[in-house]
This record gives sequence, C-alpha cells and structure tokens, in this order.
Amino acid sequence: MEFILEYLPLIIEGFIVTVEVTFFGVVMGLILGTLLAIGDLYGGKIISTLIKIYVEFFRGSSIVVQLFIFYYTIPSMLNTTIDSFIVGLIVFGLNSAAYQKGYIKGAMEAVYEDQMTAALSLGLTKAQAIMYVILPQALRIVIPAWSNEFTSLAKSTAALLVIGERELASAGKTIAAQTWRVLETYTFIAIIYLAWISIVTKILDIIYEKVKIPGIEITT
Amino acid sequence: MREVVMECRNLWKIYGDIIAVKDVSLQIREGEIKIIFGPSGSGKTTLLRCLGLLTKPTKGEIFLRGECLTRPGIKLNKYRARIGFVFQHIWLFHHLTALQNVELGLRRVLKLPKDEARRRAMQALREVRMERWANHYPAQLSGGQQQRVGIARALAMDPEIILLDEPTSALDPELTGEVIDTLRDLAKEGRTMLIASHEMGFAREVADEMIFLDEGTIIERGPPEHFFTNPRTERARRFMARLIKQTMRER
Repeated sequence: MEFILEYLPLIIEGFIVTVEVTFFGVVMGLILGTLLAIGDLYGGKIISTLIKIYVEFFRGSSIVVQLFIFYYTIPSMLNTTIDSFIVGLIVFGLNSAAYQKGYIKGAMEAVYEDQMTAALSLGLTKAQAIMYVILPQALRIVIPAWSNEFTSLAKSTAALLVIGERELASAGKTIAAQTWRVLETYTFIAIIYLAWISIVTKILDIIYEKVKIPGIEITT
Repeated sequence: MREVVMECRNLWKIYGDIIAVKDVSLQIREGEIKIIFGPSGSGKTTLLRCLGLLTKPTKGEIFLRGECLTRPGIKLNKYRARIGFVFQHIWLFHHLTALQNVELGLRRVLKLPKDEARRRAMQALREVRMERWANHYPAQLSGGQQQRVGIARALAMDPEIILLDEPTSALDPELTGEVIDTLRDLAKEGRTMLIASHEMGFAREVADEMIFLDEGTIIERGPPEHFFTNPRTERARRFMARLIKQTMRER
C-alpha cells in the first residue's frame, strides 16, 4: 500500500474539495431550504407554485445533468465560462435546498398550528412567531433527516468528476489509472468516505441528543 | 360607572353553513369579571377567539377602550398584545422554559431590556406561585402547573383584559383547584376578565355577570344568583341543573 503515500497530496486535495462542497451544500441547502419552506407555507399561491417548480427540477433530474447545465449550458448561453468548483458549490447547494425544503416544511407543519396561535395571541408578528417559536422547534425535529441529507450529499459529490473537478473520487480515478492498482486504490478511497461520513453523522447524533427538549420523547 | 374596556356589537361568525356566533353583543367594564357558559359547541371558544383577534368575525364590531378593532387595515398584533389570552389546551411553547415562555412577549413584543423582562416574568410567575418552576420545561410540569404558566404568560404583558377559554376543562379534576385558586387571586386584584368556564362555585363567587350561550347566541344573562335561584329560560334551567348535579357528583 506504500504507493498510496506517494499520491497522498492528491488525495488530500480531493478530500478537501469533497468536504468543502458537502458542507457548503448542506449549509446553503439549510438556509435556502428554510426560506423555501417558509415561502411555501406562508407565501401564497404564486410563490408556492414557483417553489414547487424549483423543487421538482432539482429532485426530478439527475445531479450529473444539473452539473452539465450549470457548467456548460448556462455559461455558453451567457458567453462565459465558470469554474467547476464554483459550479459544484452552486449545484449542490441548490440541489440540497430542494430536498431540505421538504424536510423542513414537514417539520414546521408538525409543530402544530396551536404554537402559532399562542405566539400571535401575545402580539408577535407572524415573522417573529416563525423565528422564535416555529423554527426552533422544527429545526430540532429535522436533524435526523438532515443527517441523511448530509450522507447522501457527501457521496453524490463524486459526480463532480464529470465536469473535471478534482474531488476525492476523481483523485482515486487518477491514481488507479496511473498505477493500475485498482483494488487497493478504491478500497482506500472508500474507507476515507466511510470514515468522515461516520464521524460527521455521529456528531449530528450527539447534537440531536443535546438540543432535545427536556421531557419530550420523540420516537422515530 | 367604570370605563368600558372591551365591547362587541352584533358579532357574527359563520363557517360555511354553520353559524358559530350569532349576533352577540356584550360589554366588559374595568375590573369586571364575566363568565360565559353553555353546552359544548355553543360558540364560547369562537366568541373568545374573535374578541382575542385570533379569528376574524364575519360581521360586527369589536372595541377596545373605544377603539374599533374590526376596521380594515388595523395592525392586529399591536392590539393582541393588549389582550391576554389563556387557552383551553394551554399551548405553552414546548422548547422554552416556564420563564422563557413568559419572557418571550416581553422581549419581542414590548421590547423590554433583558433584566426588566426577566424581573417582570419572575413577578408574573410569582403571582401564579410558579417561581420555583421557572427553569422547567412545559413537558416537565403537570397540567395544572402548565396552565398557571399559561396564565402568567398572559398576565406578564399587563393586558387590559384577559380572555380565558375554559382554562380548567382540559385538566384532571384534581388539578383544577390550583388553577381556580390562581384565578381567584387575579379576581381579588381587580383584573378585568372574560372567562368561559363551567366552574360554578368559582363563578358564583367572583362573577359580576354570567352569560349563558347556546347555539352561538346569548340566551340569558344576569348576576350569578339569578342563575342559581331562578333562571328564566327553560334551556338555562336545564343546563344549570345538569351542571350542579355534575359538580355534586365530582365531590
């Protein structure tokens, strides 16, 4: 396995890209997904229809196609080029937002209407009620789904190799092509994925336990 | 005569072909306590929610100290802050402690500084004798304790009137006593309250007027003694008899 050491810089470089795109995607997805969920729930018919179209596009088409569209189609329409790393950030963020919107909306609906009514009765505005009452409860509920979203996103970043971005899987591909040691190379790459994804999901589990509302048992 | 705090005139609330509130008019003056009672489905909750600006009435007018709250374009949240509301099913914010539940409105609506909000929230909790439980979450409290926090949450805002929607009817019978005691304290302080309740002993003790509601409309009204000794309508008479029998049985 010593040959791997030689390629370690390449692997680390790829790993960093994978981690960056994953975290950026999940966080942007959370922020944008929350806004989309609020828009869908409280924004009225037109906004909610636009959001549905957006969500359908990103959930209903392949991530590879989405990468092509943002890497080739859109820049060529605008007569420009765009860095593959930036495309990765944008596409994974937008894609994750489409999924997370669904989770967050579901969680907000699960925080019953009565919490909203109680907040309004105190004189809070609807926006304040969402901010201080609905979201803090909904985001707690959404953490397990968020953990799934993270694992799925972390693995899909491998799709970035189709637009030539050097992330973890493409590092593996390069090494395998140069050394012909396919078995060891991909095993090693797989272990890296497994390790970092396990660690992050474990951390999310701990956070979930930590922020649980005392006295309430949520059974899933 | 004391000043009228809240008033509604010819209030209607219609859902589809169901008339929930039918042409109700009433006035509550400073320091008065009025008890609304009547069979379930008689429109008590809907009436209170209209007055609390939580449900838009179909027709009619609501006034708070002479200001019309049913005119178009009114800032509802500004007026809701001046009207306390206590819910039948309590509805505390699950993710906040008792103290934080009471503080939320003080901080975000009245925009009080942190210390001031805390001081007032503790004061309100003391009034309902819940200061010992300030740092407990709702799920760690009994139903009666939760409802007392619910009352403190409304009370802390120093509302001009408190509307209470059957504050004890979702509680186990052995827990209603502590909530009634709290309400009795508020009555002694001279708080203006409109309470939907079937606690007849309490009503008899504190009510300036009792209002019997059936099928969304006021059937009969008068001082408690009137209902206990000699209700005029057959419907009220029958309902009173049933309530009194039920109270006897619970004892």
